[in-house]
Amino acid sequence: MPLLDILPQLIVNGLIAGSIYALAASGFSLIYYVVKFQYFSHGAIMAIAAYSFFAFVNLMHLNYILAAILTIIISIVVTLLKNLFVYGQLRKRKATPTISLITSVVVLIFISSLLLAIFGSSTKIISFYNKTFDFGTFTITLIQVSVIASAILLFLFLWFIVKKTKFGKAMRALADNKDVAQIVGINPEKIYIYTFIISAIFGAIGGVLLGLEQNLYPRMGIPIIIKGFIGSVVGGLGSVPGAIAGGLFIGLAENIGVLYLPTGYKDVISFSVLLLFLLFRPQGILGVKIRDT
Amino acid sequence: MMLLLKNISKSFGGVKAVDKCTFEVEENTITSLIGPNGAGKTTVFNIISGLTKPDSGAIRLENKNITGMPAYKIAQSGISRTFQLTKVFRNLSVRDNMLIAKKTNDDEIKKILKSVYFEKSLDTIASELSYGQQRLLEIARALLMPHSLLMLDEPTAGVSPIVRQELRKILKNLRKDGKTILLIEHDMEFVMDISDTVIVLNEGRVLKEGRPKDIVKDKRVLEAYLGK
Amino acid sequence: MIHEFIISDLTVISIYVIVVLSFNLTVGFTGLVNLGHMAFFGFGAYASALLTLSGVPWYIALPLAGILTGILGAIIAAITVRLKGDYFQIVTLGLVFIAITISRNWISLTRGALGLPGVPEIIRNNFHYMLFVMAILTACVIFFYWLTNSETGKIFQAIRDDETATAILGKNTYLYKVLSITISTFFAGIAGSLFVHYIQFVDPTIFDLEFFVLILAMLIAGGLASIKGSIIGVFSLSILLTSIRFIFADISPELIGAMRQMLFMLILILILIYRPRGMFGKVDV
Repeated sequence: MPLLDILPQLIVNGLIAGSIYALAASGFSLIYYVVKFQYFSHGAIMAIAAYSFFAFVNLMHLNYILAAILTIIISIVVTLLKNLFVYGQLRKRKATPTISLITSVVVLIFISSLLLAIFGSSTKIISFYNKTFDFGTFTITLIQVSVIASAILLFLFLWFIVKKTKFGKAMRALADNKDVAQIVGINPEKIYIYTFIISAIFGAIGGVLLGLEQNLYPRMGIPIIIKGFIGSVVGGLGSVPGAIAGGLFIGLAENIGVLYLPTGYKDVISFSVLLLFLLFRPQGILGVKIRDT
Repeated sequence: MMLLLKNISKSFGGVKAVDKCTFEVEENTITSLIGPNGAGKTTVFNIISGLTKPDSGAIRLENKNITGMPAYKIAQSGISRTFQLTKVFRNLSVRDNMLIAKKTNDDEIKKILKSVYFEKSLDTIASELSYGQQRLLEIARALLMPHSLLMLDEPTAGVSPIVRQELRKILKNLRKDGKTILLIEHDMEFVMDISDTVIVLNEGRVLKEGRPKDIVKDKRVLEAYLGK
Repeated sequence: MIHEFIISDLTVISIYVIVVLSFNLTVGFTGLVNLGHMAFFGFGAYASALLTLSGVPWYIALPLAGILTGILGAIIAAITVRLKGDYFQIVTLGLVFIAITISRNWISLTRGALGLPGVPEIIRNNFHYMLFVMAILTACVIFFYWLTNSETGKIFQAIRDDETATAILGKNTYLYKVLSITISTFFAGIAGSLFVHYIQFVDPTIFDLEFFVLILAMLIAGGLASIKGSIIGVFSLSILLTSIRFIFADISPELIGAMRQMLFMLILILILIYRPRGMFGKVDV
């Protein structure tokens, strides 16, 4: 059957898209888990990373490694600036999670407009050496292999930090109960800063990969964080493994769904999945308690 | 008989908070529910008022089965209650707080507020009241709503000695007016002074039920509070 | 974007007041943060556009758009209102994304990204239409003042302040929450209809995040649970946005839009951090 012939390719495509969504979703979920608000401006970090990498490679002609390192540094710096001037201030004034959510969306739009102002509205393409590998039942490019490989490495890195380091333990303690964590000597602000740095690294790599796979446009941060948000919710809000699972699930669903629907309907699939989960399993794949008594 | 609990049980994630709890509340009495922390008293209150569904057992109010009914229906059936941590409507005025309980005129509102020694003007916003005054407002609000059983959860917690004295007077006056009151309390002197019946709860079960002076003498009650 | 060109227009400002008032009803007065409010505004616009484009006269299409939107709101509320605060916000936010997807992909109905042009006007003369809209606005303001001071309005506010306490006073809080959203979405639909018959066009960008943030900014700047706040909030921000346009008048057009957006977002961030209650806000969200 011709349709089933393309299934391996669709699965591969699903893993690629899913990896990027999972990177976006885990940045979002990590912050939700530790800092307790919905961090939509993570999409902005991904967009900044993509554009930075573009600037270093296309405009300044630096080599890829150097460009990548500088991009990560810029992402971290911007994230810390956001924390210093915006989110830290919100915490100081005991802002509600809803206000923090709204502020984060505003920051996202601000940065999108900033990118528009700096780079203009025309689509940008990062010049990158790309090679295609043909495995018979499916093909995959070098970039796409990097996407999946980077995602796996980053998730292992995150797992290691969260489960095996003292910092990870402090992070989980803070996430579970802020007051008790402070009593045992954990400094919340310090943990928050490191958590933001981790999310910035995820955002940077996710953003660069996104920029390599697709093209750059100023508002690109918005659709990717929406997918990241959907992945987080589907996986189970507040759970980073859930976010990874959710992101992959969405990526696979979208691409395998092509068997039944025209390509333009990819968004319909992810939003339909969102709707189904919100109606029938709002706690997501991994589950968190959510109902009023 | 005003209220009957029969074999009420409730578990939370494997922990049995209430275990085959059975007791009665007689009409026109003040009944106090006491017991060490974690005995299940507030859970019992939440089950009676419909905020928590029991796993098993039955509750009857004036011989009407109210088991498992939603909270608002139980309130409409005649149970009025207050909470350990005062739940007034912070952004509404005193008057509006009272109007939610019953649609009536300023005169009736002022009368009930006066009966609980509440002094402030009807236009004061609830968040501007002191904690003690908020407590009195909450009790007044519970009194205003038409009811046959009044449930108070630790009414004296965190209040000044003056307000505590006033509460003693208020409850005794209510009993004189024919009211039925069920309360949770930790202040033993308060409990022994005003109660007709005392029910001791321990580890989710009724340990003993009786008159105040019988409870005080019971060795098991002492053990429950002090440990063996 | 649809909303970018016309903020200095009194007709549009009046429509935005209706949107913000209905938004304030659920968020400020009932404590329900319905992040999908603009999905209903857009639905009303599309509904009215499609009805009139099929020949339905405006005086049926306008109220019908409101009613259909209200019914949609009631159905969604009935399903979602039992969810805990966080999740209610997420579900309603998801509604917008779903609305975007449907409007972009149900091409046979909505013409997708091309949108629906040539939507008939209600009144040809712009000045007369402005008076018409302001008359409807006045009726809305009177209605909301009456509603929020009525017994039902006080119960909405009681639910916002403490839903449990409201329930133990004998009120069916579930029904009241559904009612609040139904009324709110009805007016959002009416506003959507008035809007689409003015600009005579609708496309999926009506659901865009930037438009929602604009309305949200007006709600917060004016203040929650304050009708006066919503009216003044819309007018103040409109004046602010119009004056921003003049500040950047002599830079390249592409840059102007971006810089205006940035400046507006910066002001919004400052309000959210330092004065989240806005001008007349009575409660926190």
